[in-house]
Amino acid sequence: MAAPLSRLCRPLWRITTTGTLNKGVRNVSSSRQQNVKTAGVASPWALHGAVCLQRLPVVSQDRSPIEEEFMELMHQMELERSLLSDHELRLLEDAARMSRKQEEDYDSDEEEEDYRDKEIVTAQDLEDIWEQKLKLFQPAPRSQGVDEKDMGSSERCLADSLILLVKKDVGSQKLWLLPQIQWQTGETLRQTAERALASLPGADIKATFLGNAPCGFYKYKYPKHIQKEGSVGAKVFFFKAVLPSHKHLPLEKNLFAWVKKEELQDFLKPEYLKQVRRFIMAL
Amino acid sequence: MAGIVCRTASRIISSQASCSSVVAVRHSHWFTSVLSVKTSMPLRAEPKKKKKVDPRREIMMKERLKKKLKRLEKVPPELIPIEDFITPAKCFDETRIRDAPKLSFEESERRALLLKEWSRYKYSQHQTEMDTIKEALEAQRQALDELKLESEELYKAALSPDTDLFPFQHEGPSYTPPITNHEAPEGKYNDITRVYTQ
Repeated sequence: MAAPLSRLCRPLWRITTTGTLNKGVRNVSSSRQQNVKTAGVASPWALHGAVCLQRLPVVSQDRSPIEEEFMELMHQMELERSLLSDHELRLLEDAARMSRKQEEDYDSDEEEEDYRDKEIVTAQDLEDIWEQKLKLFQPAPRSQGVDEKDMGSSERCLADSLILLVKKDVGSQKLWLLPQIQWQTGETLRQTAERALASLPGADIKATFLGNAPCGFYKYKYPKHIQKEGSVGAKVFFFKAVLPSHKHLPLEKNLFAWVKKEELQDFLKPEYLKQVRRFIMAL
Repeated sequence: MAGIVCRTASRIISSQASCSSVVAVRHSHWFTSVLSVKTSMPLRAEPKKKKKVDPRREIMMKERLKKKLKRLEKVPPELIPIEDFITPAKCFDETRIRDAPKLSFEESERRALLLKEWSRYKYSQHQTEMDTIKEALEAQRQALDELKLESEELYKAALSPDTDLFPFQHEGPSYTPPITNHEAPEGKYNDITRVYTQ
């Protein structure tokens, strides 16, 4: 009974869907056509591979005010709930001994044998010695003295992760983009992205690509006078790459920029930016 | 072998003769009597009794050792103590207890409010982190869908695992940036970790 019923139901269902959801049906049919196309005919979208090269933060971020307050509270609470350490006990003993010495009725014989007439290194002296030793070491300054506005240097904002942008001629305009290059037959898209990175005029940047899968994509249509039969537009697939820890990269200023996530909006077109922002994580 | 036996026999005889006169008691089965004709080898040629007794003795010794070993092995091995779970005796020293400061009402109020503020801050931070991760995953999923529409080969290549990625190493952010061409001084240390063997 069930089988013939279902056979009856199916055409009914199709009628209702074609009546109400025209768009859905159209989409389904177009994707089917596209699938047929990939089997025999090349798709109308040109493929590009792009690389999202990140310089990860080198220095820890500054604490926000609430974080500072909380850190101080935690230190205080830990100190209150702790036991006295050996060093602190020693400090207390030394202080007690000094106060005993200052008293008028001080009898040196009452002291323990070790502490009678010998010169003692008090715990306070030790602390001073340690502080002196610490001052001999000069750590590098956190801000590194590079101008924050100098977009070309990769030593900017050490506390944030920076993305590499390239100025490129697209059609008639010069746009800031993530480095991209056209896909060639016979290579995977990741190899295209690696080629895009290697083709940058600059030092050989050795970056680690994070996986074979793209992290995002952006598709755009060519303006109508460029559109021919068989090329509607281009699809750009982005791949994430990470710079190895701290190497200087001399790159030309006008063509390259190392940019934080917040500054991306000054450089990229709105539609492009919308897609790119999704996979860049500035945590 | 026979010669050695001879010499020892002669020494024993001479010692016996020197200490006392003819002794009728037999000190050993080799010498029937001191006065009788001494032959170099006992002509009766009784086989060495040691051959039987010694193997038996050896077997008995081995069995005893084996039994002792079994008794020792039956005892369960002593467990290696976990250093972290044993509170050191120093912590129970009474002289080390700090005087607990008395907090004013305002101070305790401030602390309570700050803890609540902190939990709210951390919650919002966690939410933003989760949202960014979700967004990135969604972007990747859509990119893979688009790639599938484009070509199956590229899609399969994108899905294949990357073997060169792991082990992945990266030095995380420190408080100050690393100094270029810095030579760290060699540090001496005494390793006092306790090593236990079972």
